Amino acid sequence: MTRRHTPEETKAAMHLIVGEMYDRMVKGEPPTMTLPVRTKNNIAFDKKLGVYKYGKKQSIRDATSLGSAKQLLRALHVVEFIEEMLVAGKSSTLREMYYISEAWGLGKFGSQNDSNNLAEDLEIVTKCLREDFKLRPEEDGARMIGNLTLRERNRRGEWMRINARDDVGDSGYGVPYNVEAEKIELLEHDIDFIMAIETGGMFDRLIENGFDEQYRCGLLHLKGQPARSTRRIMKRMSEEWDLPVVVFLDGDPWSFRIFASIAYGAIKTAHISEYLATPSATYLGITADDIVAYDLPNDDLSKKDIEALKAELTDPRFADGWWQEQINMMLELGKKAEQQSLAKYGLDFVTETYLPEKLSELGLA
Amino acid sequence: MTGIAEKLASNQKQVAISEFFEKNKHFLGFDSLARSLITAVKEAVDNALDACEEARILPTINVAIEKMDVKKDIVKLIVEDNGPGIPQKSIEKVFGQLLFGSRFHAIRQSRGQQGIGITGVVMYCQLTTGRTTHVRSKIASEPTAAVVDIGLDTRKNKATKANQGREMWYNADGSAKEHGTEVTAQLKAKYQKGRQSVWQYLRMTSIVNPHAQITFTDPDGEVHHWPRVTERLPTKVEAIKPHPHGIELGQLQRMTSESTDSRLTVFLRMNFSGVSARASKELCVAADVDEKTKPKSMNPDQIRALLEAFQGERLVNGKPVKLLNPPTNCLSPIEELLIKKGLSKTIDSRFIATLTRAPEVTQGNPYQVEVGLIFGGNMPADKPVEILRFANRVPLMYQQGGCLLTKAIESVDWRQYGLDQPGAKGVPKGPAAILVHLASTNVQFTSEAKEALADNAEVIEEARKAMLEMGRGLRKHLERKKKMAKTKEKFELINDILPAIAKKSADILGKPVPDLSGSITKIMSAVISETETVWNKETKQTDVAITLFNYTTRVRAYTILATWPEKSGGTMINNDTGGRKEATGVWAWKLESLQPGEKTVISYSLSNLERGDWTETDIFFRGSQDVIGASKMDEKFLEEIRRLEQVLTHNSSEDEDEDEDEDEEEYEPNEPLGEPAVAPPSGQTTLFGGEA
Repeated sequence: MTRRHTPEETKAAMHLIVGEMYDRMVKGEPPTMTLPVRTKNNIAFDKKLGVYKYGKKQSIRDATSLGSAKQLLRALHVVEFIEEMLVAGKSSTLREMYYISEAWGLGKFGSQNDSNNLAEDLEIVTKCLREDFKLRPEEDGARMIGNLTLRERNRRGEWMRINARDDVGDSGYGVPYNVEAEKIELLEHDIDFIMAIETGGMFDRLIENGFDEQYRCGLLHLKGQPARSTRRIMKRMSEEWDLPVVVFLDGDPWSFRIFASIAYGAIKTAHISEYLATPSATYLGITADDIVAYDLPNDDLSKKDIEALKAELTDPRFADGWWQEQINMMLELGKKAEQQSLAKYGLDFVTETYLPEKLSELGLA
Repeated sequence: MTGIAEKLASNQKQVAISEFFEKNKHFLGFDSLARSLITAVKEAVDNALDACEEARILPTINVAIEKMDVKKDIVKLIVEDNGPGIPQKSIEKVFGQLLFGSRFHAIRQSRGQQGIGITGVVMYCQLTTGRTTHVRSKIASEPTAAVVDIGLDTRKNKATKANQGREMWYNADGSAKEHGTEVTAQLKAKYQKGRQSVWQYLRMTSIVNPHAQITFTDPDGEVHHWPRVTERLPTKVEAIKPHPHGIELGQLQRMTSESTDSRLTVFLRMNFSGVSARASKELCVAADVDEKTKPKSMNPDQIRALLEAFQGERLVNGKPVKLLNPPTNCLSPIEELLIKKGLSKTIDSRFIATLTRAPEVTQGNPYQVEVGLIFGGNMPADKPVEILRFANRVPLMYQQGGCLLTKAIESVDWRQYGLDQPGAKGVPKGPAAILVHLASTNVQFTSEAKEALADNAEVIEEARKAMLEMGRGLRKHLERKKKMAKTKEKFELINDILPAIAKKSADILGKPVPDLSGSITKIMSAVISETETVWNKETKQTDVAITLFNYTTRVRAYTILATWPEKSGGTMINNDTGGRKEATGVWAWKLESLQPGEKTVISYSLSNLERGDWTETDIFFRGSQDVIGASKMDEKFLEEIRRLEQVLTHNSSEDEDEDEDEDEEEYEPNEPLGEPAVAPPSGQTTLFGGEA
């Protein structure tokens, strides 16, 4: 199980990587860094944890090509930079690190993507978390509304008690990037389930219609592919409060992927799936059969959509019969639909008809 | 009473000439103010180049354009040459008579097939500004130059002269001008910059006339100079008789009516090329006309029948009459080496390939295709390549899309040669310029505007073949560049990155920096060659250095082979490593003990070459282990070349002085194997014989 590390543990873990490179050079070999293959071909279901994790396939990044050698050098610079932050008690965003790398000469990053990937590489190899490295993401977390109460430690170090219905405005409670115990404590709630929503428009529609109160739920706006902190707080609420999580997304291949990353673990972060994924989450809609059943306004699948669906058919996370059915059905239809297309039947249709019908299937309404 | 009739006819003609000009200015090249200026420059420069060529003088041409009246778009154009000059009494003929000169009827390659000549410019000046054109011309045998102002009397369709006289003519440096002509014209025109400009016209002209020196002073006073890069004048072209395959009915009618021959067979033999005595008889049989017929007395049906026999529509013994091809010595290609020089003086680049195809015949007309490709340098990589089209050394600047030469370029799948070409269609993109030159006795244009060549499947195919061959050269160049980039990467890896990894990891762990020699050997695990070919400004030589690094754990032995421009007259000097000649243009060095971790440098210089003549050296190796940065020598290929060389030496020794060919793949006869010419230096052995 992934857990938080002390600065000393973090440093020691990083030195193992540096040591691997160093020892190889002492032996007269090219320096290397060993890490798991990070593709869908190397994720497997972990029965114990109930999520998808990286499998046994390892790739060795060695300094026999210019590109790999530069990656190793960058990793060393990042290690050194993290050590400095650990000593100084500072943290930096990944983007800041990218700009700081300008001063690293040969070890400078080619793009922000490079620096993000490398941070993930280090997490994977050291089994530490980004938070242990004092690296923050750029992306902000989700918004939340509902009758649930938590404590957040503010910048002055004081605990603030916040009820996500009574103490917040229309935009809801903003989830910070760090949602670990040292920052956030979940206190109490009076809800029956959590509903994660893909688009801001739909989130606001449900609030305006008073859906959270009527159906006793917490609403969470995912903002597309959810940030780590969003997934993490969903996981914590689901586990600590033992609440079901339902996910309400657009009906297209990309939404399927969002759901997979919420429920089973994302491929890019499979090393910490058990820490981020909520295995009990349920896909509420829009499903391929909703498009037909509700006769929703739709768009033709693009070439990219079709490719994505086909890739999903061979993704182990979608190996389940229900998913295979949904994906194949969508391919057959050649159509996709947005969650807001439900407005075809009026602004209240989603809260008065669609969601109650879908939730009752799950026994939640 | 005939006087009135003549007068009427003449009147009609006067009106016709002015109107003719007005109605047809689009194809005379005067349809826009910008183009009018280019046309005026073109007519004057073409005349200068033709005159110099005729008189075997290396042309020096100065063009200047001044703005006279910006509001009214009046500019002054001065074109001066060092040609033979025009005798005083001929000046008005040259400048004042439409369609003057013999070139309209001669069957040979000439610039003047296009445009109506300098008279058109005189007329245009007269019509747009009311000004006469000032001409100054001096011939070598006279001490002074003739000057005269030429205008056109459009009513009488005759030249007018004014202010005739003689004067001394001095060059800018004060010396007396020996011979030459200067034209000063004032016309309504607009000076523009860019792809369709006087500047571009002169630049293109300079590329295909490497023997000319052209200086252009633009209206802003900026001076553009294109130097002469060869002292060799274009070969003098011979006029040839028309070939039966290229003749039209009207022409045949005129020829028969003007003929004084007594027999048709004689007429056919004497007035056409490609007609043997036997063919002349067979043509008569095919046309069903008695061979004793007097050509002058042939009736229209007979003439038509004869034409059909020419074209193979009437048969003899079931076959068309067999005709010989016309001679091709009437063509004057620019030739590969000179195109290369012309291109490299105008465009900065990394790679040039040029190719002159053998002359061919289409529809009775000899023609020859030449192409050039220049790549790299400062040319933009994301734009369509620049297309430089020429017909008989005259730049074609308009109607690019409809031109045969453009279509030939578009017919090639350039992607396989390393240029970007979406869908393998259209003009390719990339940092390149493609030159196509068609030399022909009869250039067929799509329209009277004479800016685009008309379709002809045979000519397109010739141009396409030439392009494919050039493309292969480009691909080779790019592959070589890739190889060099790979080597460079490896060096960056071991020289910069790896030491940085060693130092940083040692710093983090607080340990000593590890020794890297073992890691380096493992990483490279190869022998690497690095080759530099650079022009040395001081010595005026091309310096070549081939460095071999042995990054393996064993002692290595190789034979290294390098190409060098032996055929172009280059001399290899300061070759301290010795070696021997493997074939013409290929030198070989045997390196017997390349120690692990060591490097060896083979260096030499090439003299007798000019800058840009030799910019890339191909390196090959013989040996079991790969050499990064070099290609394995293909022995079969080398043997084949040697075999061809043997055949060549035995069969055609008179061809030895043929045009130099810089293509690295063609090697000349090999010398018999023997002792190396240069003694091997100590510490290294040579390929044949020399023991160190």
